Amino acid sequence: MKRIILLSLSVLVLLAGCTKEITVDLPEAEEQLVVEGTIEPGQPPIIILTRSQSFFAPTDINSYANIFVKDADVRMYDGSQTYVIPMFCSSQLPPEVIDSVAALTGLDPALLSSVDVCIYTSLDPNTYGVIGRSYRLTINAEGKTLTSTTHIPNPVPLDSLWFQLTDQNDGDDTSGFIWASAHDPDTAGNYYRVQTRRLNRDEDGNPKDPVFVAPFGSTSSDDFFNGINVQFVIIKGSSAYATDLEDAQNIHFMRDDTVEVKLISMDKREYDFYRSFETNVSTQGDLFTTPTNVISNIDGGLGVWAGLSSDRRTVVCVPVQ
Amino acid sequence: MLVVLRPFMRIRHLIPILCLLILAPMSGAAQQHFTISGYVKDTTNGEALIGANVYVKELLKGTATNPYGYYALSLEPGTYTLVCSFLGFQDLTRTISLQSDMKLNLELSPKAILAKEFEVVGERREDNTSSTDMGRVEMDVQQLKLMPALLGEVDILKTLQYLPGVAANGEGNAGFYVRGGGPDQNLILLDEATVYNSSHLFGFFSVFNADAVKNIELIKGGIPANYGGRISSVLDISMKDGNDKGYHAQGGIGLISSRLTVEGPIVKDRSSFIVSGRRTYADVLFTPFIPDTSAFAGSGYYFYDLNAKMNYRLSDKDRFYLSGYFGRDVFTFKTGNPDDPTFKIPWGNATVAARWNHVFGPKLFMNATATFSDYNFEFKAEQENFDFSLFSGIKDYGIKLDFNHYVSVRHSLKYGGQYIYHIYTPSTVTARSGETTFDIDTPSRLHAHEGAIYLLDEFDLTDEIRVNAGLRLTTFAHVGPFDEYVFDDQGKETGTITYGPGRKIKSYTALEPRLSMRYRLNENSSLKASYNRGQQYVHLASFSSIALPTDVWIPSSTNVKPLIGTQYAAGYFRDFLDHMVESSVEVYYKDMQHLVEYAEGADPQANGNNNFDGQLVFGNGYSYGVELFVKKRTGKLNGWVGYTWSKTMRKFPDINNGEEFPSRWDRRHDLSIVAVYDLNKRWSFAGTFVYATGQAVTLPVSRYFIEGRLVSEYTGRNGYRMAPYHRLDLGVTLNNRTTRKKKDKATGEVTEVPRKWRSSWTLSVYNVYNRANPYFIYFDNAGTVTNGDLRVVAKQVSLFSILPSITWNFKF
Repeated sequence: MKRIILLSLSVLVLLAGCTKEITVDLPEAEEQLVVEGTIEPGQPPIIILTRSQSFFAPTDINSYANIFVKDADVRMYDGSQTYVIPMFCSSQLPPEVIDSVAALTGLDPALLSSVDVCIYTSLDPNTYGVIGRSYRLTINAEGKTLTSTTHIPNPVPLDSLWFQLTDQNDGDDTSGFIWASAHDPDTAGNYYRVQTRRLNRDEDGNPKDPVFVAPFGSTSSDDFFNGINVQFVIIKGSSAYATDLEDAQNIHFMRDDTVEVKLISMDKREYDFYRSFETNVSTQGDLFTTPTNVISNIDGGLGVWAGLSSDRRTVVCVPVQ
Repeated sequence: MLVVLRPFMRIRHLIPILCLLILAPMSGAAQQHFTISGYVKDTTNGEALIGANVYVKELLKGTATNPYGYYALSLEPGTYTLVCSFLGFQDLTRTISLQSDMKLNLELSPKAILAKEFEVVGERREDNTSSTDMGRVEMDVQQLKLMPALLGEVDILKTLQYLPGVAANGEGNAGFYVRGGGPDQNLILLDEATVYNSSHLFGFFSVFNADAVKNIELIKGGIPANYGGRISSVLDISMKDGNDKGYHAQGGIGLISSRLTVEGPIVKDRSSFIVSGRRTYADVLFTPFIPDTSAFAGSGYYFYDLNAKMNYRLSDKDRFYLSGYFGRDVFTFKTGNPDDPTFKIPWGNATVAARWNHVFGPKLFMNATATFSDYNFEFKAEQENFDFSLFSGIKDYGIKLDFNHYVSVRHSLKYGGQYIYHIYTPSTVTARSGETTFDIDTPSRLHAHEGAIYLLDEFDLTDEIRVNAGLRLTTFAHVGPFDEYVFDDQGKETGTITYGPGRKIKSYTALEPRLSMRYRLNENSSLKASYNRGQQYVHLASFSSIALPTDVWIPSSTNVKPLIGTQYAAGYFRDFLDHMVESSVEVYYKDMQHLVEYAEGADPQANGNNNFDGQLVFGNGYSYGVELFVKKRTGKLNGWVGYTWSKTMRKFPDINNGEEFPSRWDRRHDLSIVAVYDLNKRWSFAGTFVYATGQAVTLPVSRYFIEGRLVSEYTGRNGYRMAPYHRLDLGVTLNNRTTRKKKDKATGEVTEVPRKWRSSWTLSVYNVYNRANPYFIYFDNAGTVTNGDLRVVAKQVSLFSILPSITWNFKF
């Protein structure tokens, strides 16, 4: 709806308006530590620790490399034992594992090979996520202490997936959306996020999606569909690191794409984070919203510590008759 | 000083004072009085003249006509000279011998279009310095039509923004913000029916068609007790009654819309009607030229207004009025392809007012009104597998009874009561996706009763001091049917309480004291002070920085406390050149409690299992300022200069970490200059200039990355100021000749006779020196980190550059 208003407003801007670059004097902001941490069933905890920068800080790749916080003391308590989560840096990794580390962390393979990115994870199977368990994270770095607790809920299964053409243009029998159906549990308070990853390769032989991506608006609560069967459409998202802009801007899946769909379940605080994160990103510069900060579940810092469980299924994009 | 006064102004201290004041003038009425009363009308078309002065030369006392043109004066028996005057009309003098109650209807003739040199009248009259009015401005519709306008659309609300104490909100926006109050704090009345959304096209044009409007009055402080329900201002707009002497039409063709008004008698001198319509035609004109490949292909937009009114005079004692307004904005999006989504977004207001005036006796005038107001917004989207529709709105059914009691020439009373039944639809969503129909179990409708009784007493305590004291008792109840969700401390839903139809859920009652006083220093100057306190039981919850049709009206409830506004004002008023130039300096302090905002990060679409007020946060605000106003009322050159210095702040525990922050409508400096120059009968020139401190906006101060995407971290709500806003507009109007030459066939003599057909061209230029005023600022980030081309820049968007327009108007 806002889009419609924006559209008609832009008619006016087109008629008479103008846009110019200006210099804005923003006050200096205090630097904060940002956690991007997840723990999933059967997977090690993965914690990316960065710092915030002033808004107009340099944006070159070296400055970007600088935002990763090294040598932090990261500990995770699973209700019975505390584990130290060690640091791994991409410069130490053999090149052949880069792609699998990228898939695991969601970080771009090109980024991992060009910048020394350090993350915190563990090879100890005892640290791997278990459904129903709560995890407390404590980070000490650069004189700051950050804490957060999360919980891994039960996953909600995807019942079926199918591909449907959108008939954008006459005779177009290649592009479409994926549809999914699932049954929301009877108890209110289920929170979801959808991610997809195209497993097939592009013309250059590179995987179309090296990592899972989420379209904007990927989050949902069961406020409107508690306890019922729900059918929903999945639009193609794009990675923040995408270099093929034409592909990134396309919101359709194409015939014969092989797509892995992940229906992620989480608790409310984690949902609030992902929802507000997507709102924050998509409304930057939007006149029709009150600017809002991302709702963090980290005490003493920004970001999220999220226990996530998911059901994954794969669909081959062949239109249903 | 104003702040110091506050503790003394508590209600309980005021009650005894008010009682004393009300009783005082009644005690001395021993001498027998007779009353002269009647209506004041425009001789050319029979329109009642509102606020015309009727004064008694011998006593230097007078009165002004009420909104129906009625006046009454109670005097001791004797012979008097009555002078009736109204701006733009020739004075009318009558000598009367008052030996019993008498009726006298007065008809005034308009002055020639070209204002003559001012004439010295020499009598004291009801004016800027003699009334108790403060912060009260009437706008001249004729003058307004000469002023340059954006795209040639004459706009009442935008003209109000040129007054001191009234702030505009951004470029081209018709919203107005009075003394730091929000857009929901203005009571906008069209023939006594409430108008909830006063703008078209997302705020760019107001819903009032100037051709159908007779009188515009704005009260921004010292709100008298006969008005209530909003805490910041009253905008009282009266529609024309219609010409009861002959049939006439007027209209105009402009760049974006055309207008047509038809009026005439139903029964001559007894009954008349007026119908006025306006429609934009951008959709008709531009749609064929939008290429199919454009992002705008398939979209259409138009708005229209329809005003209609009729009145019937049963006798000199009874008169009926029926008036209505209906307006709609419609935005559509539809391509030829049946598989593409289609959108239809209609929204708009409808109001109906039925009124009955009855004169019980010469001293007692009654008006009974029944009103209906409806504002709704709808959004419908459809695609093969997906339907979505959203509806929100507010509906009012109201009745009102007002009495004007003209006790004596020094004393008048107003009293009455009002009742409104409100039905709110905060937001109802229905959706279907594939086979799934979404279960939307939000309480879809809310119901409330609102009632008020008031007494207002205006009297001269001495020759110097006039008092206007009033009390208004208001009550409000939110009633069932209603399902209230109950939550535990963790925010988890634990159940619902169901209220049956009509059952009281929460009610509020308040006593609202109002007081204005004038102390006359001399013939041309006076001091005034006012105090008013009011409660408001409707709230506008807004997500955006401008008033949008999507904004939702909600009632006071268990959770949402009534908005309480208290205002103190004092001023010095002085007239120059025999009241031709009036000037004033006013200072005010306004306190607002229980303001409503959406919580940070609130999501209006996700209001599923929650109460309608579950995402709101509450806080307080205040505003203070100084307003200077100099107005030249008549003469070849007329217009005004208004300057405001003010500060408006808000404080919400849950916003901005509980720290005070500037309101969106905080303007330290606000200057307006309006000038109209009538060169001769055919040419008029007009210019307006505005300067305002830049709007307060929230900007990010730092950034970080999540999933590789740039996240903005904002601090300090409204902590940044955009560049100041300033603009000059110029306009010129050329009228056709008002007379034509007529040759008498018999004598060959050539005489000038008035033309029936009048037409004019108005050329206006908006933003003459092409200032790029900031509309909003945004940050653009393009490129990616890995490619090394990520760039973050600030961009400022401006809407209207220099924009000429031309309008052709006609009248016959």
